[in-house]
Amino acid sequence: MSGTISYLIFFGVMVLIFGIATLGLNLQWGFTGLFNAGVVGFYAVGAYAFGILTAPPRPELIGNFGLPWIIGIAGAIVVSALAAVIIGMATIGLRGDYLAIATFGTAVAIQLFALNLEPLTGGTNGLAFIPRPFESLLGDGFSRDLGYLLVVALSALVAYTGLERLARSPWGRVLRSLRDDEVAAIALGKDTIRFRLQAFVIGATVTGFAGALYASFVGFVSPFDFLPIVTFQLWAMLIVGGSGNNRGALLGALVVWLFWTGSGALIFKLLPSGLHTQAAAIQSILIGLLLVLSLLFRPAGILGEESVVSRHLKNSR
Amino acid sequence: MKKYLLRLLSMICMMIGSGIGIQVHAAAPACPVKIGVTLPLTGSLAPIARAMADGAELAVEHANAGGGVKGCPIQLITRDDQNQPNVGVDAAKYLVDVEGVAVLSGGLSSGVALPVLTTVAVPGRIPYLACCATAATFTTLAEEGKTNGLFFHLMASVKTQAAGAAMAALEQGYQRIGIIYMNTDLGTGMSRNFTKIMESKGVEVPIAVPYNENQASYRAEINKVLASKPDAVFFIAFVQDGATMTREWLSFGGTQNIILHNGLRSIEYVNAVGAKHLAKAVGFDNAPASGETVNAFLKSYKEKFGREGSGPGIAPQYDAIMVAALAMNIAEDLSGTSIRDAVRKVHAEEGVVTGTGPDEYKKAFEAIARGEDIRYMGATGSVEFDQNGDVTGPILVWNVTENGLGVVHGYTQDEIADLLREIQ
Repeated sequence: MSGTISYLIFFGVMVLIFGIATLGLNLQWGFTGLFNAGVVGFYAVGAYAFGILTAPPRPELIGNFGLPWIIGIAGAIVVSALAAVIIGMATIGLRGDYLAIATFGTAVAIQLFALNLEPLTGGTNGLAFIPRPFESLLGDGFSRDLGYLLVVALSALVAYTGLERLARSPWGRVLRSLRDDEVAAIALGKDTIRFRLQAFVIGATVTGFAGALYASFVGFVSPFDFLPIVTFQLWAMLIVGGSGNNRGALLGALVVWLFWTGSGALIFKLLPSGLHTQAAAIQSILIGLLLVLSLLFRPAGILGEESVVSRHLKNSR
Repeated sequence: MKKYLLRLLSMICMMIGSGIGIQVHAAAPACPVKIGVTLPLTGSLAPIARAMADGAELAVEHANAGGGVKGCPIQLITRDDQNQPNVGVDAAKYLVDVEGVAVLSGGLSSGVALPVLTTVAVPGRIPYLACCATAATFTTLAEEGKTNGLFFHLMASVKTQAAGAAMAALEQGYQRIGIIYMNTDLGTGMSRNFTKIMESKGVEVPIAVPYNENQASYRAEINKVLASKPDAVFFIAFVQDGATMTREWLSFGGTQNIILHNGLRSIEYVNAVGAKHLAKAVGFDNAPASGETVNAFLKSYKEKFGREGSGPGIAPQYDAIMVAALAMNIAEDLSGTSIRDAVRKVHAEEGVVTGTGPDEYKKAFEAIARGEDIRYMGATGSVEFDQNGDVTGPILVWNVTENGLGVVHGYTQDEIADLLREIQ
């Protein structure tokens, strides 16, 4: 029983980390309509920035400064934001699928940097022993994960409330207008490039923050953590949960990750061990099936977008 | 909403407070005894991983037929890690926490096996008998005492393998060797160690080009190597990428003097390229030391699955499970630390020699019950761990014949050790 709780805590941490990353994507795609196909790039930047700042020093690495956890988080946020500003300034003028291709390319480039910038990132060997907060206090058992769940839950809460605020502010309404009719927004005198860049940078920073939390949780990052499949996972979470809805983003993270890993557990539970080897393929089929079915039957996601977001309008009804 | 959240937070805080000091993993042996395996059963490594999973299954079958663990049957639970660290870590955590496995095994990519070790095995005090994750990082971590001795390798480390590759190349008399290697810890380690040995032996390695996995074409990498005009090429790759690369290499007029990494020792690779193009190719792999226990394993693998059990990783994976099962019998109880200590007693110097298969397992099982030491000779030969949990082993040289894969000859553990000493 205690084992199950311990697993659920672990699972919860993963869901919340994915949830935060999806919240970042939601600001970009759900609210602003920016087709960021390189989410994993910013996730990687956050994770590596955190790892480089906080992991204990090693002779062969020039990074690994061994700084405190909180400085690592702050640094990861700053570095992700900077990376997003640079990448955003270069690409944000592109629309739709052109932006998707550009961002996808950047994410692949970032992964390759991580792979080849060996003195800093450890290359293929990765960075190990990235610390968690309050490690000495919580030991290495059950309470370690529980403590981290609390940290991640608080982070998710901050990210969620912050993004909700933004989405319901006048600034958020401009983003929606950009998404739905950019020409109209320009006609109203909005500097669309600036707004798009702002949304891109804030979203990417949130995703980078999630990457830092991931690095701290798993304690080890390598370029294998940041392959394009993660972008796909985050997108699946947003689409299934409900693009344009922050609660949808969090719910999507839960549903998709539950399905992604739960389907594995279930199949291997139901089938005799002789069939486990073949069963893995069924797991992949189930994951695909979930996505297809949810697109067919809930194209707007489980929660979907609220048509009215302004709190003033809501109250007046 | 806010009140609710506050209450939730305070509850979590209380749980943390009370959680400090709680031992999560009870060590009471309950039937069946579970062993968890995570392998990339889907994706580009699937052809290798599935054969390995079968090896694990065969070992469990043999162990159960020979007595199981302390009167309990062993249950094997194999999970797909999709070659993704986050999926692999989750699967391992599930196996340990929910299924209550006593031992973890599997582990093909070091990128997945490392986080499984540091996030799941070490904090959960579960021994991790990895089959084939051969990155040098594991040894470094063990040397620094950060694995708590819980990590064991069943496949010889990259250094031993590189020595084998070097000996195969020297024997062919190549003078100028180009390398194309996968840009992973395994590939980098192999390429560097190989280059070091070759250069100390006066053989040129003009170029070593890394490639990123799962590309549709490796034209750029191949052209770079071709431009350096080597008289032989060394492919460090797994089946799918290796086949793509070899076909392109040959179609661009590259030499047929090819050295093949042990990841390519697979009939799928040979079929994909065509055996007639590989007539001059030589490969290396971790070799069985001596026949008997190995043949017994190969025979029973072929009987059960109708395929050869000589592919990469199969024998080490079989041994990982056998060692785990024997260690659990030797251990006083099934706590992780007891099993960890017992793993080192599976190959005792003066023990009763036991091998592979159900009858041999039974012999070991009974010897342990009588309180005697055992000396396990496995599907990979003598399974002896050094203080870092690594094995060294002999290397075999293989080639491609009309009928598939052939074995040319082997190098003993001592010959490999001599070469490594020489270049120090």
